[in-house]
Parts: sequence; C-alpha cells; structure tokens
Amino acid sequence: MQHSELEEILDGVRRFVRQEVVPLEGQIDEDDEIPTAIIEQAKAMGLYGFAIPEEYGGLGLSTYEEAQLVFELGWTTPSFRSLFGTNNGIAGHTLLEGGTEAQKKTYLPKLASGEWVASFGLTEPDAGSDPATMTTKAVRDGDDWIIDGAKRYITNSPVADVVMVFARTSPDKPPAEGVSVFMVPTSSPGLSIGPKDKKMGQAGAWSADVVLEGVRVPHSAMIGEQEGAGYVTAMRSLAHGRVHIAALCVGMAQRLVEETLQFALERKAGDTYIADFQLIQALMADSQTDTMAARALVLDVAQKFDAGTDTKMGPAAAKYFASEAVGRVADRAVQVHGGAGYMRGVAVERFYRDARLFRIYEGTSQIQQLVIARQMIRSAGNTGGR
Amino acid sequence: MDLTLTPELTEFRDEVRTWFDEHLVGEFAEIAGQGFSWDDSFWDTRIAWDKELAADNWLCIGWPKEYGGRAASVDEQLIFQLEYARSNAPYRGSVQGQDLLGPTLLAYGSDEIKQRFLPRIIAVDEFWGQGFSEPGAGSDLAGLRTKAVREGDEWVIDGQKVWTSAGARADWLYVLCRTDPDAPRHRGISMLLIPVDQPGVDIRPIRNMLGGAEFCEVFFTGARTAVDMVVGDVNAGWGVAMGALGTERGTTLLAEHLRIAGEVRQMIGEARSTGASKRAVMRADLAQAWADAKVMEWNGLRLMSAIKGLGPDPDVHASISKVFASESHRRMGEAAMRAEGARSELVGEEYGLDRLQQIFMSSRAETIYGGTSQIQLNVLAERTLGLPREPRRD
Repeated sequence: MQHSELEEILDGVRRFVRQEVVPLEGQIDEDDEIPTAIIEQAKAMGLYGFAIPEEYGGLGLSTYEEAQLVFELGWTTPSFRSLFGTNNGIAGHTLLEGGTEAQKKTYLPKLASGEWVASFGLTEPDAGSDPATMTTKAVRDGDDWIIDGAKRYITNSPVADVVMVFARTSPDKPPAEGVSVFMVPTSSPGLSIGPKDKKMGQAGAWSADVVLEGVRVPHSAMIGEQEGAGYVTAMRSLAHGRVHIAALCVGMAQRLVEETLQFALERKAGDTYIADFQLIQALMADSQTDTMAARALVLDVAQKFDAGTDTKMGPAAAKYFASEAVGRVADRAVQVHGGAGYMRGVAVERFYRDARLFRIYEGTSQIQQLVIARQMIRSAGNTGGR
Repeated sequence: MDLTLTPELTEFRDEVRTWFDEHLVGEFAEIAGQGFSWDDSFWDTRIAWDKELAADNWLCIGWPKEYGGRAASVDEQLIFQLEYARSNAPYRGSVQGQDLLGPTLLAYGSDEIKQRFLPRIIAVDEFWGQGFSEPGAGSDLAGLRTKAVREGDEWVIDGQKVWTSAGARADWLYVLCRTDPDAPRHRGISMLLIPVDQPGVDIRPIRNMLGGAEFCEVFFTGARTAVDMVVGDVNAGWGVAMGALGTERGTTLLAEHLRIAGEVRQMIGEARSTGASKRAVMRADLAQAWADAKVMEWNGLRLMSAIKGLGPDPDVHASISKVFASESHRRMGEAAMRAEGARSELVGEEYGLDRLQQIFMSSRAETIYGGTSQIQLNVLAERTLGLPREPRRD
C-alpha cells in the first residue's frame, strides 16, 4: 500500500475513534453494548477486513501497517476493536492461513465486509493457553464429521455467524498432528451459545461458551480440507494475533499516558500543579518510556513478521512486553489520579479494569515466557550450543 | 517483642479463645472471614456479630471502663487481636466509630462528648462516617475549603466532601471544617461532629472500582450542629485529625496484616486447585506473597512494641509499615489474579467479585488513601532522614 494511502486510512480512523467513539466510552461501559450506528460506520470504513487481502475484499494491510492502525483503535475502549478483531485476527487468519483457495474466495469477503462475524474456538474449560489438553473431538461419518465438545470464553460468539472450531480428529496423535479445524455455522443443530460472560472489564466486548453436541458438518467445512492441519493453523493465527494485541496495548498505553499528563497538568495540590512534583514526574516518565519501548518493539516485530524472518519469538515477546507494560501504565495512571482514579466514571479506572485481560488472552504472559525461552533454547541447539 | 506469656496473660488468652469457640457459631460461623472496610456484604449479620461482641464487652477493650471498655493492657489488646485473627471471625461493620473516631474522642473530646458518644459507639448503636477529603484536597488535606461559621448556638456548615468512608450507613459524620479563613492553612481547621439526619446534609454514593459504594460524596448546604460539637479546641482540628497514634490504630493495622496472611493461604489453595502451582514462576510469586505477609505481621508486632514505648517513634514506624504493606499487597493482588488464571476475568451478578479479585482491586486503592506512597516517602525522606526538600518552582 502506498504511504499516502495508509496515512489517509489512519487519519480517518483516528478522527472516527476520537470524535465518535471516545465520547461514548462511558455509555458503552454502563450498557455493555456498542451502539449500532458505530457498528455500521465501522463496517463502512472497512474495519472488519483491514487485515484481509484486497483480493478477498479487505484493505490488505501488512502486519506492519495493521499495527499502526491498531495503535489508533487502542486509543478507545478495547470493546470497539473487539467488534471486528476476530474477523481480521484469529478467526479470519484461520481461513487465510489454512483455507483452500475456494474457501478463501467464498468466505473471506463475507468477513471483510462485516456481513458475517466469525469467532475463534480454541480455548476449552480445561485447555486455555495450552491446546495439548484439548478434548473436543470430531469423528468421521461418511462424507460428514460429527463434532462434540465445549469451548470457553469465545469472543464474539453471541453474535457470530460462524465459529472456527478446533477439534481432535486423531485422538491418538499428538496435537501437532491430530487436530483439525472446522468452520461451523452457529445455526447448526446441536450448537448452542451460553449466556454472555460477565467480565471484570472490557464491557461491550461479548464472549460466551460454545457447546457442540453431535454437530454435523460436511467435509468441505474442514479448513484446508486437510486432516491434522489445525494445530499449525492455530499457531500461525495466534502469532499474528499476538502482534495485533501488542499493538492494541500500545494504543491504550498512549491514551493512558495522555490522560495521566492532562490530569497532572490540571490538578493542584496546595499551590502546586502535581505535574511539578518530581515523584509524579517519575511515574509519568516511566509510563512514557514503557509506551515508547513497546511501540518500537511492536513495529520492529511486525516488520520481521511480514518478512517471515521471525514469526514466533517476536510476536510472543511483543505481546508479553506490551501487555505487561500497559498494565504498569494503567497502574501508574490510577496512582497519579489519586482517589479519582479509583472511582467509576473516570477513564483511567475503566482502562485499569480493561487492561488486565490483555495479559491473559492470545496466550497468557506465562505462556509467552515459555514460547520465548523455547525459541532461545532451540536456536542455541541449532548452532551447536547445547 | 517478647511474646512469652505470663500466667495471667495465658489465662486471658484462654478466656478469649473459649469465648470465640462458644460464640462464633451458627450464622456467624457461616460468614467467617467475610467483609472488609470496603466490602459491606452480609452487613446485617456482621452488625449482629458486632453486637454479640459488645454484649460481653469484647469491643474496644482498651477503653476506660466508664465508657464500656475493659481498660485492657496493650498486651491484652494484642492477644485479643491475635485470637480474633485466629478465629477467622467476620470483619466488624462498626469499625469507623470504634477504631478510628473513638480513640480520637478519648484523647481530645470534652467529657460531654465522650459521655454522649462513646457508650453508643461501643454498644453498636450509632454509626460514623469520616469527612476529611474534598474534591480539591486529598493528599493535600490542609487545603480543605468546607467552612463552618458560628451562628448563635450553632455551627453552619457549607461545602463538599468526597471519598467519605462509610458515609452511606452513617448516623453522624466527623468532619474537618475551616473555621478561620484568615489563619495559616493548618491553623484554621476544626473537627466538627455533624448529625446526618437533617435537610442540609446530602449524601450520595459513588461507585468505586469494585462496583461498591462504600465511599460517598457529601454536600453540606447550611447544615447545622451544636456549638459544642467540636473535638478539641476550635481551630486546633489539624492536630486532632493527625492525632497521637493510638493503641487501637496499632492493633487495627496488626489485625489487617493478620488478615492478609489469611489471604495468602487462600491464594495458595486457589493455585493448587487451578494447577497454577505447578508452574515455578507462580510458586515464586506465592512464596514472595507469603514472605511479605510475614514481614507485615512482624511489622505489626514491632509497632505494638513501639506503642508500649519499647521501640522507635510509632508515627515513623506506622509510615514505614503503610508503604510496605500497601505496595506489597498490590503485588499480591496481581499474583492472586495469576493464581486464578482466565477465570479471574469473570465476575458474578451485580459485578460480584470473589475474594482474590477483591484483593486485586481493593489493594489498588491502598497506595492512595491515607496519604499516597509518594507522599509517605517524601515525608520519610524530608522529615525523618533530613534529606533536602523537593525544590519548588514558585
């Protein structure tokens, strides 16, 4: 994409987010719902498919370009990004990474336009960040597959048209070979969506359990129509999703730094603006530094991801650092705001509750640590270090 | 501090322990460990529990007997707190009056005020809220602007308070007001006792991060109270509010520290049940939390020694203890969330939080209220260590 073209998109999204969405943040938090007008505008702006290639109806942003767009989305409530996060991210990328050409041509345009909402069904009650213990299974029955199992915390499932369901097709094989992924319409008999999860933060972003009881799908619903390819597809989608979430964390951190600065410049203690107190300055400086470091890391990792030179360690490191950094930045924002930062109705209080989830989904911080360390050890082994 | 008990103290401990064994039963045992200053769940049962304690004179045991106390020694009060924590009894609902205002009244109140209020506080008949902070005066409390003007036999109060603890259930408020607008900031303040049930007092709950409304904002519009409802001298309210560090404040701190030890045990149980304890990093977090809780407990015991005159300045000690406890409790809150894993993100009906989620959220306020960590460290550096003052631009 031309630089000027990207700048135009970023400008449009920046204006929309700051002028249209930010004023509604409090309402979205109270109502746990994003107004329909915002959803329709997001569709019209192409936000449901910015990371989907142009040939399939999306904007076709590279990961590097996507990161810059997501910085802008992160400026407001993360529930806004969540509307179309799964279409662009983990669910859309499951099709993109693993689908046959025919599947991509048929379904990706529906995701890119927002006609369909797609969810990513990997996590289970007893298999969160580690799919090795997954129990959902699919059994071949003639030309069809019968799927049984339960998925947990599935983002956008209450409004989804399709769910990318990961299931064991060869229970005897390790997950890397025995898991396949199916695109299952939510209207399928036997598929039910649980009540919406009540979450600590990110109100307006909906998730729920997805239960599959004898759900029958044709073989053509298997992504890639190739058995056992699910695990690799999941890992690729998640790697892309990690860069995406890292960029979102940077966006929120930038907003929090701005909220912190403005408050410190306006709030007086005695005759002194609190921005003039050195310990307040130290908090502000640490947050600014954390944010700059996270932003630089995400952009560097995104470029290497596009180039294919680092598709594992970089995304994990960026997601780990940026999600922990925004947690620290939110923490300091509350501290600088004092009592006000602890009360409902104040933006930093809401972001403090919102930010906690970033350290959990798309792989917890603890999982990212393992991914990073395993890559380090593996690369040492490759050069004869072990 | 020497914890070897004399035969008399051993007898006292056994008496306390027996009392808890016999009385912490039925509906009280069902809510063992429940509630906190910011958590008003099971309120009615907790107040009934407070009255159960009151009936046998087990509240405010250090107070003089004429007000319903036992004139208990510091050692006895310490033993009582340790036994209270050991029993895992519910958190008392009537703490504001008993642990915070009561000692101040004992130290500074007129005989009339003490006789009027202390017996009702100790009998759990009247509830109190604290009106100190204002929208423009938090950690910089001396900047407060709520004013009280004398009119005949009454004070007339106008202004606004915020983060008023326990305001929603209070019958009375103890309020810092500016009574001499021309005096230097710290010298024109008085502590007034103001009845809530009057047209000039409007109390509105504000929701905090946990979703609860333990804090309120209070609007005074021509509110009135009798002219003798001043604690200490008129215009001497600053010294009254800062107060001498009473034994009760020491025992209250110790009680909170002991409670935190209980939270760590719960975190460890949770980490075992979710399987999080299989991870080395989680185990390190838990060991750190346990070590921090131990240090808090020892700090609490040292503070009791200091109050008995056997250690350093109790005010300095309390400040050290506050910074350590609040900062480490906040770290513990993070570890509690990690112990729960993804489930930590889910809340119940009406934003209901489980105990570990409550630690995560409530601990976030602890580095702010009662003087932020930044203020505490500044004061320790400047006043206690004699380090250079922060340069001012003006």
